[in-house]
Amino acid sequence: MTVALETPMVSTAAVFEARDLAHRYGRRVAIEPVSFTVSAPAVAAVTGPNGSGKTTLLKIAAGLLRPGRGTCALAVAGRDVPPAERRRWVGYAGPAISFYEELSVAENLTFVAETRGLESPATLVAVALERVGLVSRAADRVAALSSGMVQRLRLAFALLHRPPVLLLDEPGSHLDDEGRAMLARLVERERRAGLVLIATNDEREWRLAEQRIELRGRGLGHPA
Amino acid sequence: MIARVLLLVWIAGWILMAFFWAPLVPVLGETTRVLYFHIPAAWVTVLALGWSMAHSVLYLRRRRMEHDHHAAAAAEIGLLFCVLATVSGSLWAKAMWGSYWNWDPRETSIFFLLLVYAAYLALRGAIEQPERRARLAAIYSAVAFVTVPFLIFVVPRIYFSLHPDPIINPQGKLDMDPRIRIAFFAMLLGFSCLFFWMQSLRVRVARMEHRLDES
Amino acid sequence: MPSNGSSSGAAVWAILRKECRSEWRTRYGLNAALLFAITTLTSVSFAVGRLTDRVDLLSALLWVVLLFAALASMSHAFVREVEGHTLTLLRLVASPTAIALGKLLFNLVFLAVIESVAVPLYLVLMGAPPPRWGAFLALLGLGSVALACATTLVGAVIAQTRGRGALFAGVALPLLLPVLAASVSGMRSQWAGGPITAEARLLAAYAVALFGVSLLLYDHLWED
Repeated sequence: MTVALETPMVSTAAVFEARDLAHRYGRRVAIEPVSFTVSAPAVAAVTGPNGSGKTTLLKIAAGLLRPGRGTCALAVAGRDVPPAERRRWVGYAGPAISFYEELSVAENLTFVAETRGLESPATLVAVALERVGLVSRAADRVAALSSGMVQRLRLAFALLHRPPVLLLDEPGSHLDDEGRAMLARLVERERRAGLVLIATNDEREWRLAEQRIELRGRGLGHPA
Repeated sequence: MIARVLLLVWIAGWILMAFFWAPLVPVLGETTRVLYFHIPAAWVTVLALGWSMAHSVLYLRRRRMEHDHHAAAAAEIGLLFCVLATVSGSLWAKAMWGSYWNWDPRETSIFFLLLVYAAYLALRGAIEQPERRARLAAIYSAVAFVTVPFLIFVVPRIYFSLHPDPIINPQGKLDMDPRIRIAFFAMLLGFSCLFFWMQSLRVRVARMEHRLDES
Repeated sequence: MPSNGSSSGAAVWAILRKECRSEWRTRYGLNAALLFAITTLTSVSFAVGRLTDRVDLLSALLWVVLLFAALASMSHAFVREVEGHTLTLLRLVASPTAIALGKLLFNLVFLAVIESVAVPLYLVLMGAPPPRWGAFLALLGLGSVALACATTLVGAVIAQTRGRGALFAGVALPLLLPVLAASVSGMRSQWAGGPITAEARLLAAYAVALFGVSLLLYDHLWED
């Protein structure tokens, strides 16, 4: 029996605002100065050539990385969320996420739910697995999953705590047609009240978005 | 420019005074001369350590690269003076007590400081990215700051009981002939200025290197 | 809905359980550490023989063996995260302090397991006189807590560098010397029939100081 958990009543309208955001790794320019504002409800695609900093931008937005210059502020329901607290309001799915290979799919997600201090972790895990179509593989160790399955698991991880903001880095990678359909449904559902940022070079994923943030890179991080 | 020449003259002058003007401490004989060199070197070691650690904490709070430059520079100079203090102390020990190394409390303390410096610099050497290097080195420095007083106070207790030092350590006495005291404090001042001068040079180099990296 | 913030205790507990479960499933860390401890121990025993009447050497060698065992194995907790690329996942579900505390507790348990094998073996092989158990265990406990605090913090730092085992040992050693000095002195004292209050107080003070400083520093550990 599936339990439908609807999006919360309380307004968690999220707003991302970046001002002259720039970052470099040592000598290599990762993000050229960029500014934008995205407010919920919205789905925005972050596009740009390879090396223009799409992943870096999402990491900064998630609070995983401290930007070299400029600011990237997140406000939820009017209140500013400092980077240290972003993880509670943000769901992140990207190639940077790896799971504990020796634990099963369900164990990984249960660990996440328990560590986040969520109520009734078992229910949330079941719901998340259902949404990404991984219920049949719940007991399998992550080491045994294919890359497409791991990608689904990443999406489940991002959704688990039902955040108002989703940051998806190349979410369609490794997914089969059924997976892509699932992804489209997922984004559609979040579009209603949430904020979704999709970093991608894939046209199929652009089409899910109605806004675009274009990163002008020098391409492949050429030094200045 | 003037300051540098003055410093040179000051230190050179007081070295001469130490040899020709200041009298000998009876117990120490000719080895008295070392105290004008060895103790200031040890003092700079501690000064540099404090300077480095203070800037490490400042870096963590303010995240300005300038503080990291200071912390790293002070650590390098501190290591240099620590080696000088250790070696000069060892030579003095040989002259006074017949053996180069005894693990007496002071020798042990300076050796521990050497280890702390070496560990800090080794850690820095293993990280390439400037911000990460600054941050992790500062973290280590902050922990070491807690450790150092324990090292200074634990050591005498332990080693006095394990290896009782039968030889009276003459350094403790500040009850010196006034001329010795003057020469000593003059050298202390000279060495401190030397440290700050070397520090400023090293920080300038670090700033330039950083600007080169950024462009 | 986002998780509530006051779940740090739950997070630490969940991380500790996950560490134990992961370690139990893979076990290579524990096996290697035990093997190393026993090897060091037998080398010492082989080289020195029985030391029934030399309590000063007995205390010193015991702590040298424990120190080596700790240096060889305590970086394991963080290195595993780095090698499995799971640190990003962890950072998205728990605060840096919760992560570090979870690892600290795990390291403490790990150390306790190693000591429970190595210490009795040592006492037997070296022909040690029967210790005053209260004092002996108090010193062992306090020294281990200080060891764990120092090695957890250094381990977290080193895991982000290019250095590994040797660098970890070299960088951790200065922080561990007060523990070594106080513990050796105390152990000798309890075998000789004297009081251990001074050493115990010192160890406790050092452990508290290390722990206090660590709590202030954990937040800065991971920012990129």
